Formats: sequence, C-alpha cells, structure tokens
Amino acid sequence: MLERLTFAHPAYLWGIAALALPIIVHLFNQRRPRPLAFGAIEFVLRSQRQKARRLRLRQILLLALRCLLIAAVACALARPSLKPRGAQTAAAVGPQATALVLDASLSMRYRIGSRTLFEKARSEALAALDRLGPDEPSTVGICAGAAGFASGIGAPSFDRIAERRVLQAAQPTYLPSDMTGCLTAAAKALGESPVPGKRIIAFSDLAAHSIRLDAPPPLVPSPKGPGVKPNVVLVDAAQGSDLPNAALTAVAVRPSASLGPRGYEVVATVSNFGAQPISGLQVSLKIGQATLAKGFVDVPARGAAKKTLGAVLPPGVALGRVELARDDAQGLDEDDGQDFIVHVPRDVKALVVDGSPSSLRSRDEAFFVEAALAPARTGGRITEQTLDADAAANASLDPFDVVLLLNVPPPPKAFAEKLRQAVSKRGMGLFIALGDHVDPDAYNDALGDLMPRPLHLLKTAAEPGAQDAEDRAARFGVIEWTHPLFRIFGPAEREGLESARTYRYALLKPEGAQSAHTLASFDDGAPALVEGRLGLGHVLLYTSSASRVWTDWPIRVSFLPVLQQAVSYLASALEERQPLPAQVGDERPVAAPQGLVVAQILGPDGKPAPMRREKQDQADAVAGPIAAPGLHRVQVSPPRGAPHDDPSLAFVALLDAKESDLRRVDESELKAQLGGAGSAQVAASSEAAQGSHGTPLWSGLLLVGVLALLGEGALTRR
Amino acid sequence: MLDPALLARLGPLQVRARKVMEGVLTGLHKSPSYGQAVEFSEHKEYAPGDEIRHIDWRAYAKLDKYYVKRFEMETNLRAMLVVDASGSMAYGRGAMTKLQYAAVCAGALAYLLARQGDQVALLLAGDGGPHAGVRGFVPFASSPTHVQGVLRELENAAGRGPTLLPAALDFAAEKAPRRALTIVLSDLFDATDASIPALKMLRSRRHDVLLLQIHDREELDFPFDDPTRFLSMEDDRQIEAQPRQIRESYLAEMRAFLEGTRRELARADVEVQQIATDAPPDRVLLELLARREAA
Repeated sequence: MLERLTFAHPAYLWGIAALALPIIVHLFNQRRPRPLAFGAIEFVLRSQRQKARRLRLRQILLLALRCLLIAAVACALARPSLKPRGAQTAAAVGPQATALVLDASLSMRYRIGSRTLFEKARSEALAALDRLGPDEPSTVGICAGAAGFASGIGAPSFDRIAERRVLQAAQPTYLPSDMTGCLTAAAKALGESPVPGKRIIAFSDLAAHSIRLDAPPPLVPSPKGPGVKPNVVLVDAAQGSDLPNAALTAVAVRPSASLGPRGYEVVATVSNFGAQPISGLQVSLKIGQATLAKGFVDVPARGAAKKTLGAVLPPGVALGRVELARDDAQGLDEDDGQDFIVHVPRDVKALVVDGSPSSLRSRDEAFFVEAALAPARTGGRITEQTLDADAAANASLDPFDVVLLLNVPPPPKAFAEKLRQAVSKRGMGLFIALGDHVDPDAYNDALGDLMPRPLHLLKTAAEPGAQDAEDRAARFGVIEWTHPLFRIFGPAEREGLESARTYRYALLKPEGAQSAHTLASFDDGAPALVEGRLGLGHVLLYTSSASRVWTDWPIRVSFLPVLQQAVSYLASALEERQPLPAQVGDERPVAAPQGLVVAQILGPDGKPAPMRREKQDQADAVAGPIAAPGLHRVQVSPPRGAPHDDPSLAFVALLDAKESDLRRVDESELKAQLGGAGSAQVAASSEAAQGSHGTPLWSGLLLVGVLALLGEGALTRR
Repeated sequence: MLDPALLARLGPLQVRARKVMEGVLTGLHKSPSYGQAVEFSEHKEYAPGDEIRHIDWRAYAKLDKYYVKRFEMETNLRAMLVVDASGSMAYGRGAMTKLQYAAVCAGALAYLLARQGDQVALLLAGDGGPHAGVRGFVPFASSPTHVQGVLRELENAAGRGPTLLPAALDFAAEKAPRRALTIVLSDLFDATDASIPALKMLRSRRHDVLLLQIHDREELDFPFDDPTRFLSMEDDRQIEAQPRQIRESYLAEMRAFLEGTRRELARADVEVQQIATDAPPDRVLLELLARREAA
C-alpha cells in the first residue's frame, strides 16, 4: 500500500536548518587554518601526501555524519510516521483524545480458519492502544446489545492499564450491536476531554445491519456551539474480505398426522447470505444426543430454503436441536444450530359410554362424539372405545384416561364408585353430557360428589322443530375464552361456538363443590359447561346433550375442537401451545405454577442465568437479559422446599437472525453517514488506523542519530 | 645543569657559552687531555748543530751513519665548527631556536677548545656569502680574541634560506686539508638529501666528523591540534593540514628519518648525537665529551 510521511510536530523540522552549523564549521576549518612557520615541513608534506585522500574522505564523512546527526534529531523531534495513503483524510495534527470502540456483537464471532473476527479486532485494538501517544487520553467501550455499550463508556483518561484490562477481558457476545449508537456515545464521551483533537477508532466487521445510515453523524459536544465532527476510523476486522455465511434462521415444529401419533415435522429455514449458492448442505435433527433425521438442502445465493425433517417424538417435553454441517474454513458457527422445545401430548384412551345406542348411526347418542374423536381427526392421539351403559358398568376403567357419560341413565352405585375412585385416585377425567335418559334427582343421588354441581331441573327453551325455535333456543352467552378448552378459538372462529342453538338443558342447583367453575353459560345465565375437581381428576359437566336431541351444537364446526380439547384436558394431555422462544438480549417472564416459586433459571451452560422479580415476594420471575442462545431450564420450588426442574417452563433463546447476515455496509455511504471522507475512513488494520501516528519512525531516527554521533566521535578521535 | 629557558635569559652569547663551558668543566673530573700532535717526519744526516738527543741510534747501528730524526712541528687539535644557519634552524617556540641552541653549544665548544690551546674555526652554513653555502667563516686560531670573534659571528647569525650544508662541508674540507675534528651542528632538514653523503665524504677525507643533530621538541612530538597552515622556513612551500589526523604518520616519518640518519652515518663512522632544544646544553656537551674520552 502506498504510504505517506507525516509529522506530529512539524515545527521541529526547522531544526534541520541547524545543518548549516557543521557545514559552516567545516568551511571555516577549511579556510582559516592557523599559519605556522615550521622547520620540519618536509615530514608534514610527506604525511599529508600519504593521507590526503583518506583525510578528504574522512572530512566529508565527518561532515555527512554531523549533518545526519542534526537532521535525525530534528526529524525525530518532529515525530514522523508513515501512514497508508487512505489514512490521510482522518489525519490530524497533534495529540487526539481517542475512543476505542470494540464491536462484540454476535457477528464478530465469525471465524476465519481458527481465529474469529473478534480476536483479530481485539488484537488490533490492543495494538492501537499501545500506539497512542503519551499525550493522548483514551477511553475504551465494548459495543454490544441494543443499548450501545454494554457497560457504558467513560471519559478519556491516561489509565492505559485499566483500558488494556478492559480490552483483554472483553468477550464476544451473542447480541446484535448498534454501531451507530456506539459511535454517537463515544463521541459524547470524547467531549469530556480538554484535548482539542478527537478521534474514534472502531473495530468492527462493518456488517450493514449494525450501522444505521439514516442516523445523524456522531458529534462531539462543544460548549461553544454545535458539536465537532471527530475523526472516525473504522477498522475492518475482516480486512475487506467477503464473509459468506449459511444460517439456520427459523425452526418450526408442528404435528404431522402422516407420521402417526406424536409424529412431528420440523421445518428448518436455511438462509444463505453469501454470493455463491450452496448445494448439499446437511441439516440434522437431534433430540438429546440422538440424531433422528438428516437431510440435505440446496440454498440459492442470497436466498433461503426450507428443509422439512420428520420424527416421532417421545411424549412429554421434548428438547430438540436442528444443526447445519459446520464449514471448517470459515463461518459463524453460532447460527448453525437452533434448539426447540415441543410439549408432546401423550396418547389418550377414552371410554365413551353410550346411553342411547341406536342402530341408525346418526341417531346414536355417541355418533358425533365418536366422529370427533376419530383417529383421522386426532392424528391417532386419542383412541376411543364405545360401550353401552351396562357393558361399561362391568368394564374395567383402568385402561382409560377419560370416561364420557353420554345421556347415560343414573349409573349403578358400584359403577359410580368405580368412577369416583378412578377420578379421585388416578386422576381420570370424566365428561358428563345429559339427555332424555337423565333424571336430575336420580343422577344427583347416583353420582353424588362426582357432579361439580347437582342438577336441579330440566329447562326447555324451545321445542326443536317449532316455528320460532331458532329464535327462542338458548345460545352460549359468557364463555371463558382463556380456558384451554376455548383458547384455540381466535376472534374469527368464536362465531362458530356462539351460533349454536340449545333447546333444552339442565339447570343446576346453586350449591356444589367449591372447586366448581363455570366455563361457559347460556345467554340466560344458566351454566352450560361446569368444571369440577375431585381428588386428582377433573370432571366436566355439560348441561345439554352431546347429540342433536337437545341442541344443534354437535353439528356445528366448533363442537369437534371443544370436545377434543375437553378429552385431552381431562386426560391432562392437552396439546399445549408450544412455548414461544425468547430472543437473546431480551427478558422473558416466567410464571410459576400454583403453589410454587421460580427458584432459578439455568442457562445453556447449566449455570444460573440472570433473573429478577418484579416484587420481592413474588413467585414469578423475569429471566434476562438473556445472554446466550439455547435451552434455558427453570427450576421451581415449594415456598420452603428444594428446587426441581419444571420442563414445562423451559424455553429456548434464539439469536437475532440479522446478525447472521454479514454483508458489509457500502463504504462510501458509511463515510457519508459519518460526516464525509474528510473526517471518516475505513482502514484494514489498526496500524493504518492510527490517524496521527502510523508507523512511528522517530525511534529509528534517534538510533540513526546515536550511530552518527558514535561514528563522529570515533572519526574525531582517530 | 643549565636549563635552556634559564640560559636563554642570560644575555649575550658570550655569557651563555661561557656558562655552558663552565658547567662542562665542573662536570669533568679532570681537564680533557687533548694531546699535542708530535709526528715523525724524516731522517737527515747529522750535521753539527743538530740536537744530539735526536740522533737515531738504531739507524746508526744499521747504517753506521748518524742520522738525526726530524719531526713535524708540534701543534694543537684543529676543530672546525660547522653551524647550519638555514631557515629551518630558526624554528623554535620554546626558550631558544635551534640556531640559538646550536650557537650556545658551538660557543661553549669554542671556549673549551681554545682554552686548551686547540685551534678553532667556524663555518656558518647558509645561503649567500662569497662561497656557495658559506655565509660566514672564521679561520683556525686559538687565541681568546679569536674565540670572541667566533662568538660574535655566531651571535649575529640568523636562520634563513635553504640548507646548503653539502656545499658548506666541501668548503670546510678545503679549509682544513689536514686531519681535523669537524663538528656539524644542524637539523639536517635538507630537501635534497645530500647532507648525509657530504658528511660521509668528509669522513672519507680522514676528518673526525661529529654531528650534533638538533631538533625542537615540537618537531619531535608534533603536539599541534588545530587546523594549521604549515609554512616552509626555507622556501615558499606551504600545506594546510589537520595535525591530529597526520600526527601518526608524521611521527613515523620523523622516527624513520632520525633512525635512518643515525644508521647511515654510523656505518660511515660518523658520530651522531641527536639533541632536543629542551635538553640542558652543558649536559649534552658533557655526555659528548665523556663518550669521546671513553672512545
């Protein structure tokens, strides 16, 4: 690279005028020797003849050495340095207060060979710190996160040791960075130094995502008026080379009916931020340490491709990871993998007790329920068996997770007791739908505390088929939309539930178990769906029929999802909404289960992650700011008990996908944003970045001066 | 011993020379016996009136005739003092110039020789005068008046012009046809390198030749530091030099010259004594006399 000679103190160059001294002395010696009449002149003549040439050479050498000595000292005092041509724009004369800004964002983890951009940038920053002149105060800031500097930036000082320590201790983060904000903050910090020269040297990958080109340029505040533009030097840690990168930018996990029960498909979105297409990139799906599926994907240049991998996941909370094959040569390894969490519902076995079987399928009491729970509609997750009331009374309930009593006559005591035991001891779910076979009083007697609330009497809002039945029929009035049974309904789908007409239903007595909770009620206020809790199990009482005898709900589209949700809910196998991932750098609230307290949150490395509580005695907590990507486990504990993992609260933190795009900002636009080429430059190394120093030459010149002095002394003494 | 600086302050040459002579005499245990020369010349037949004691009885025994031995006239030693009065002998920034030092030595020797009845001549070598290389000449004699003449001539001598010592030595050989002691006082700085052959030639004529080679201390040590334009004292040559830079070379040249001179003349049986003008003259002469006596 072409280099340019500059001087920090050019006034000292006037010292070169002192070259005249040895020349004058030389000439004076030449012209004004002392005359002496000497007897032995013959010997002087002979000696002079012998030495004349050597003496003349020696005199010239002496003169040259003396001139060299003076010139070297004068030039050294002027502190010359060699700077790359490109550095001249930001060069400033004299000492400059300098802010060293080190980009510690995720993209700086980009690896070329075995060394990351961050390591290179940190080395450059340390070298730049060493190159600062003794009269140049400095400050150091580590730029990471949306807030600009992770731990602020102080006023420039001369505490080089502390600044060196800050740089040495700096580590790359997983956060995005706002280089524009950091430069602005650094400029503000420079305003606290009385040194007139101001300079910011930023060490970054110059990724376009970290720089806002529409932002105002950084200005050093000045008490006399508008701010002063500092010299801004951006040291490109990548030294101008392209940084191609393939990243896993999204992972979506959804059930796949074609894969059978607990079959899921994982859709990985692979983005290619490089200029060359990628073919045959391996994508792997892992659960724990086991690789369940592998595939290959071709990704066009500057494009994205999706790869779907299927797997049957174990029930419960499944912790998985999708990974791309690592490129050994270069790349950002951190975005080559993404964790995910799936709450895989367990399989449910349901016993449907048909209280009014019919040879005509559509008249059968269980017809709509069976249809709703059919494997084709539940993905095989729910297996149902239908028995009539008598058969059911003799059947063992052990294999079943849920029992649905559909218009069943009051069950015998033994069956009722069996149901109570299964519900209260085993946590079995019980769904009770009514119908013409139900006598309220007999039912209350037979089922007793299994009923969330006792039946009172039957109410006919309208006779089905009557002329104005449509208008007089009851409709669902108040529905607890947040309950698991109904939360699947978005605002647009709620109409499907609200439009159901119910002609006859049971009214309930006001007394009942304390746990009884009305999930939905008719528009006249009568409960429609009541939840009760008995022991370990739940009971749902639907005050109308599950067939078309009392209501047209079974033929409405909303019946099927509510019934499926109800069965899953009662079996504690509700297909939970998958936990949303958190973003690295953000906070995430963690709600403690009832009666428990969030004890601590463990990061991907197994060490406690930052956590706070809104209130001192609150059971819930807020995790964050989240520092690293990956699985975060939550440990909960009873108020005075030992903490244990709660897999249902675990969450995954994801990286900011824009950090994967390392395309560089356009240099000319960047310079324009920073205040124009006069005050901004982009350099490939910190050496080039030392605006006023460059390659220092003064020490070499002093050495030359010393050598000249020694040479002069040696020649003079001879 | 007489310090040259002190000696220089003693006034006229007569006084200085005498002081030196006295110093020399004090230093000698006995007077030098410059013996009378009595040399056999011929036989002649005895004739009445001849000294009977001179009859050669051995010749009578052989020839049976009386022969009387005849002798050369009994005479004292003849000494020719040749003092180089060339320009280079005028150098000297100490107490005395080389010429002044040579004059003191020559004067003292003249005193000493005349005192014991020897005949002394003085030849001032230099340019000009009736003969080439002879600026002044005082013929042989031994009277005190003569010594005063010699001293006067020495005192009036001024160092100037080129060294014409060879011509002067030729002249000395002519003036002293008989065997004589020739004492040459010179720095021998001769651009033509003819002085040493001339001294050898003198010796070859059976003259007893003694060279007192006189130099200034600065010529021997070359103690100059500042840049200097050296001017020749005998002609118009000059050279600018950095003395420190050529000192080594100069001293080597000087050593080679002194060594060469001593070696060359010793080979021709010419005695050489090399003297620096800061040495006390009486001690120099005393050593000279002592050495000759021993020889």
